[in-house]
Amino acid sequence: MAVDSTTEGSTASPTSDDSELVGDGGVNVVDQSGSEPPTDSIVGTADDSIVREIGHDEFDPVGTLILVLIYMAILLGMWVFMYFVEFLGRGVTVVG
Amino acid sequence: MATAAGNEPLFVERFPDEAAVAKANLLVAFVALGIGAFFGLVQALHRTDILRIIDSADYYTLLTGHGVLLAIVFTIFGLAAFFHWATARSLDQPAVSTLFSWAWFGLMTTGSLLASVAILGGLVPNLGISADVLFTFYAPLQAHPIFYIGLAMFIVGTWLSGADWFLSYRAWREDNPDERIPLQAFMVLTTMIMWYIATVGVAVSVVFFLIPWSLGLIESVNPLLTRTLFWFFGHPIVYFWLMPAYMMWYTVLPKLAGGRLFSDPLARVVFLLFLLLSTPVGIHHQYLDPGIAEGFKFIAMTNTMFLLLPSLLTAFTAVASIEHGARQRGGEGYLRWLGALPWRDPAFAGMAFAGLIFAAGGFSGMINAGMNINYLIHNSLWVPGHFHMTVGTAVALTFMAAAYWLVPQLTGTKLYSRPIGLLQVVLWFVGMVFMSNAMHRAGLAGIPRRTAEPQYQNFDFVTPIGSIFELRVQIAFGGLLLFLSVVLFLFNMLLTAFGEKSERPVDEFLPAPLSGPEGSPRVLDNLGLWTGIAVVLVILAYTLPIAGIIQNGGGLFGGGLPVPVTVFPDVELVKTVLAGALAALAGVLL
Repeated sequence: MAVDSTTEGSTASPTSDDSELVGDGGVNVVDQSGSEPPTDSIVGTADDSIVREIGHDEFDPVGTLILVLIYMAILLGMWVFMYFVEFLGRGVTVVG
Repeated sequence: MATAAGNEPLFVERFPDEAAVAKANLLVAFVALGIGAFFGLVQALHRTDILRIIDSADYYTLLTGHGVLLAIVFTIFGLAAFFHWATARSLDQPAVSTLFSWAWFGLMTTGSLLASVAILGGLVPNLGISADVLFTFYAPLQAHPIFYIGLAMFIVGTWLSGADWFLSYRAWREDNPDERIPLQAFMVLTTMIMWYIATVGVAVSVVFFLIPWSLGLIESVNPLLTRTLFWFFGHPIVYFWLMPAYMMWYTVLPKLAGGRLFSDPLARVVFLLFLLLSTPVGIHHQYLDPGIAEGFKFIAMTNTMFLLLPSLLTAFTAVASIEHGARQRGGEGYLRWLGALPWRDPAFAGMAFAGLIFAAGGFSGMINAGMNINYLIHNSLWVPGHFHMTVGTAVALTFMAAAYWLVPQLTGTKLYSRPIGLLQVVLWFVGMVFMSNAMHRAGLAGIPRRTAEPQYQNFDFVTPIGSIFELRVQIAFGGLLLFLSVVLFLFNMLLTAFGEKSERPVDEFLPAPLSGPEGSPRVLDNLGLWTGIAVVLVILAYTLPIAGIIQNGGGLFGGGLPVPVTVFPDVELVKTVLAGALAALAGVLL
């Protein structure tokens, strides 16, 4: 059966349930001893290297926040740069 | 429930007919990619005066071919392949009629062939067929009728493809009356509704004005009207390119990173915002067109700025989903987790690079969208610099990267070479950094776009940093790398298609989102409501400007050049438009 958000539910996992151990803080740690080795020649096998299952409540996307802040900092810096170069540095360009 | 990768039959085994249709669409897309990329290389070398193997008059033929083959044929056949796959996969059922699927594919292909013949005819002297009208096919540039007829057939083909996916949805809905629409199918349907609304503009322009005009049935057209109708369609087509890429970023990229989609409801909201906001913004391409009042341009700019919202939501959701994958793969720290991502997988790396370039394209897009700042870069090389980051990388590189993951599902054969795939996506990234960056800077120096020989006697462009020569070299070098990247891609795809069958050619399992649709409002799935609101917004944004263009531009069929005017909205007219819009909304709701 095809897997999708409406058919799979939030319990879906790329590994079978009996291969998981519960680690500290409620994060599932995957025991890889029985899983097949990573297959480097196959596309889309990042799941094979999962070392822990992180659920919705345990996931804190702090790295995303850092990247978004970097993006906004670049945007702000470029805006300030443009303001000085294109507006303060030139005469009036649009009249009327 | 599938729990582990590799336990399920491949897509091609479950849906052989849909896989065949998707493969045929990809074949046309990739042929167009190869030809279009070659034209791009010739242009990059020609306009920078590095190597000129064609006559400068033919430059515009190749430019039209490059634009149409890549921005229409490659992208939309790619979209059709992804959407056909996604509809069958997410609804878990085949198309209602395979014959119908082949019919729209045939119509789209025939239309593309006719348009291509018209364009390439320009290279053959004395043939009497040409279409050097560039991607935007503005009047008063005129093409041979078969160009417009081919375009019309192509557009009708896309309408039928959408009907195919809606029929699948209807069949699924009969069996699943209370289920939420699966996410990929939701994305396909909302994108197609946007497309139906958007293509009204180009259909009216081509069928009522350009075809009769090219056949000599009418003497003239109102150029501003056909331009405006083009951009009515010309901006939402940008999102028609992007939506399949977004679909892959939302539903496939998290899996490729080893994680799960952060939020399904957020993805739905993003697609709905694109449905609502994509069309009533086209006038932002016409900031410098006389004949449209500044006030309408200001409204288009405001709507455009709202469009940043779904793009920024996407940036957040995609990055958070990738981070989830990195953390599951053992990533730690504020930024060190980036190192835990599967960078050796060309499908992941390609999509991640595409997203990175798209973020940079967002910067220049904000400049384009601003009415006053736009004057600095309008019609300069900056603009191609911008859209080579967006459609030329965010879309094209995502399509190529996604093909590394999708094509093995359609063929049952393993990707010929992952290392070559990785080299290919890196080459594209590096080539685009060179070319696009230099194009932006050249545009700031005032170098025009769409010009075979932007070198002038007794005049030198000046750039504050570096030199114009350096910019030219960067553009040519970047173009060369991009062409090499396409050659590697096509080589890899060809050998994949003819490779040996494999039991597990690819890991096609897609995990469920971290936050599913269960808790989100059901109104998100009310497609009729959102269609109604989208139509109302279009009526509000376009009625008055188009009325002004017809009134002041010499009527529907021109007869005189448009003159700069300022149209002050008439209170009665506003009332009539609002009443009409509300009646339309009520009609949809009731």
